[in-house]
Amino acid sequence: MSDPVGHQGPAASGPASAGGSPEAPENAEYRVAHLQERLAAEELGELGVRAEFRAGAVAVTGTVPSARCRETVLRLAREELAGLTVHTDVVVAETDRPDHAEELW
Amino acid sequence: MVIRVAAVGDIHMGPDSQGLLRPAFETLPDCADLLLLAGDLTRHGTPEEARVVAREVRGLPVPVVAVLGNHDHHDERPETVTSILREAGVRVLEGEGTVVECAGGKVGIAGTKGFGGGFVGRSAGEFGEPVMKEFVRTTRRSADSLHAALKGLDEEGCAARVALTHFSPVADTLAGEPPEIHPFLGSYLLAEAIDTAGADLAVHGHAHMGAEHGMTAGGVRVRNVAQPVIRRAFNVYRLGAA
Repeated sequence: MSDPVGHQGPAASGPASAGGSPEAPENAEYRVAHLQERLAAEELGELGVRAEFRAGAVAVTGTVPSARCRETVLRLAREELAGLTVHTDVVVAETDRPDHAEELW
Repeated sequence: MVIRVAAVGDIHMGPDSQGLLRPAFETLPDCADLLLLAGDLTRHGTPEEARVVAREVRGLPVPVVAVLGNHDHHDERPETVTSILREAGVRVLEGEGTVVECAGGKVGIAGTKGFGGGFVGRSAGEFGEPVMKEFVRTTRRSADSLHAALKGLDEEGCAARVALTHFSPVADTLAGEPPEIHPFLGSYLLAEAIDTAGADLAVHGHAHMGAEHGMTAGGVRVRNVAQPVIRRAFNVYRLGAA
């Protein structure tokens, strides 16, 4: 699943610095780091969501324990990465019982 | 004779997840003799979150054995989390073993949270600043307790022995995680304890983006049962008892 949470290109948040990454607009790397800090520090305590630059956008991926957690991840990504193109692939952990066992002998 | 071990880790329960796992857990007697919980049962290790976990597993018709994870320590009240889970009937292990009597024989579980440090050739050493030495010593103490617990279970005549940790004993089951963070995901000291004391299976969690299957250098099967990895409420491993 992919939910674009922002459609503005990198130019919307200012020109890339001369020495910066060709993919990331100025200071965008730090904003990604701040997103991960907020995911861990705020109500989620979430360390299992990854955010990284892919093809000029930020890809936010991972598995979270509930639908509410997923909504919170998407909200924090919108807030922290406003103006950047963000693609999310955040899924809720599956809770079905297994349909078979693994034999170990 | 067969011993059926169900296991899951990293269920990260909070108030909004009450009841999500219970329907699957209630089917456990059909397919398993016991349930192992491989740590990170909560999000922040608060008593409120621990009570959600306790309600999810209370009164299950199979024994439940758990270790805590790093999330369960975040609120710095692991003793409170432990006592809430124990009050609900969960056997919470930290550097100790327990024996479960199954139809297929006695199964011993040795449990510890474990800690990081990395793997052979790319690991942290007990050297330098006090905080660095304490980091590695924490893992070493955990590994030593795991070794002693597994040895103790051997003396009790268990038909099968399982090492239960939160951090990983091997890098195999971290495949998919960035290699740069492997030292924060596990330590070879845990695998060394498992191989030198002996075990039939090692179960861990912690690495959400890792892989399920691995093996220690000594040939002990390792399974990463983090819920995001197994994508189920639990997995079941059938061990042939001696």
